[in-house]
Amino acid sequence: MSVTMLRRRASRPLVQELLAPGISWPQRSCRRASSTADAQPDAAARSPKAPLRREDRDFLDSALRVNQAGELAATLIYKAQTPLLIRAHPHLSSLMRHMYDQEAGHFSTFNALLAKHRVRPSALYPVWQLAATFLGWSTAMMGREAAMACTEAVETEIGEHYNGQVRQLLEMTREMEARGEGVSEEIRHLMDTVRRIRDEELEHLDHAVENDAKKANGHEILTSVIRGGCKTAIWISERV
Amino acid sequence: MPITRVCTPRLRLLTSVRYCPISRGRPYHSYEHESDPPPFNATEEAVLAAALRQVPEHGFTDASLSLGAREAGYLDITVNLFPRGSFDLVNYHLVTRRLALKKALDAQAAKDDGGSFKGQGVGTKVKFLTLERLMANRPIIHRWQEALAIMAQPSCISTSIAELARLSDEIWILAGDAGVDSSWYTKRASLSVIYSSTGENLAHCTAPKPEAMLMSGLLELFMTQDQSTDFADTQKFLDRRLEDVRIVGSGISNLKGYLDFTAHSFINVLRSKGVRI
Ligand SMILES: [Fe+2]
Ligand SMILES: [Fe+2]
Repeated sequence: MSVTMLRRRASRPLVQELLAPGISWPQRSCRRASSTADAQPDAAARSPKAPLRREDRDFLDSALRVNQAGELAATLIYKAQTPLLIRAHPHLSSLMRHMYDQEAGHFSTFNALLAKHRVRPSALYPVWQLAATFLGWSTAMMGREAAMACTEAVETEIGEHYNGQVRQLLEMTREMEARGEGVSEEIRHLMDTVRRIRDEELEHLDHAVENDAKKANGHEILTSVIRGGCKTAIWISERV
Repeated sequence: MPITRVCTPRLRLLTSVRYCPISRGRPYHSYEHESDPPPFNATEEAVLAAALRQVPEHGFTDASLSLGAREAGYLDITVNLFPRGSFDLVNYHLVTRRLALKKALDAQAAKDDGGSFKGQGVGTKVKFLTLERLMANRPIIHRWQEALAIMAQPSCISTSIAELARLSDEIWILAGDAGVDSSWYTKRASLSVIYSSTGENLAHCTAPKPEAMLMSGLLELFMTQDQSTDFADTQKFLDRRLEDVRIVGSGISNLKGYLDFTAHSFINVLRSKGVRI
């Protein structure tokens, strides 16, 4: 899939949001607002909203779990790739550092959300640790282009995955509005977080393509294998 | 407590495989949306609370339930509300004692004016809460062996184990543990085992070992398929499971540490030799 196609796909929910009547969506750059909401669960508790439906709670539970597992994997992929890559290509040092720092930020965001909302981590946590480290190390051993193709494949899947979550969250909030319940800050904040992180993942995808991801040997087969692995891992960690 | 109910689990299992409904846990705790409805409605609460006061004298029995219903101003017939009989009474004790832990923690924090308890680490709080929960059994400790036997009945064991898991989860959460890596599981599993074995010692109980209790959910399924005489295969299966628990329990943390350590040092040695790895 081309980057432009993915971009278009990524922006579709945004258009929907703008067109959706009756919902005042917060500005996308509401990191400040969200961090204050995060810090004050008590303030929010003053006006309790209707209980979340069972299926919504189940969705939020598995969504947070799979996101944490994914970001854990992302940090480990970059951690394994970086020393190998920058020895051969020192100019990549700042890019790798930048992407790793963002992944580490995503990971700690989801760690905090899991702890706050009492969501269990994936039972296969050590498996994801091993698999991600291996993926990072092996693609970096294959060279710069293959390492970038790995990022390209992973971020394509993750971008689609986060888009799917944003769509489901929108659906959930729309139903809440329809039932006259009002949407909690908690859910809005989660939606903003997922959108912001999705945009950063798509930046990584751009960086990978700019750095010759498409020139990797066996690019097609390499990326489809990695994307298949990502799909499977997402499917499993939503459940286990 | 009629002892026959404890001694014939095998027969009960073959005639009616009735599982207590397992609640699917409590996913995604919200701070803005209202949480779960209280676990017991007003009638249940009134009857079970009164019945629990009868337990020291009359045990975890249907008699206590009847007395409790009468004391709470209901007809004897109200007891029909509790199809699981004495297990409903045990369950009420387990759930309410678990939910009382938060208050106990808050009270301890308020009592200690210097604020030193609040500043204590997770470990101290886990110890405090576990002890607090154990001590909540004191008024009925001479009846606890009955309760354990009821919990170990085939139809109730899955609910009992789920409740033990919820207790363990509650203690780690109240203690302020924010760990969400693989230690999430080991912490909860080990606390469950520690808790159930300590409780057993406290009751001087000869009931099934906690590991056996933890395993019997699986064991039941196996047993329903078992064609061998005297369930010999089931017994062997149990032995193997217990052995697995022992091996995994003692080995896993060391194995991971070992692998991490050797992998790192191996890679570092190779890198120091100029291998591009
Ligand atoms: Fe990420
Ligand atoms: Fe990423």
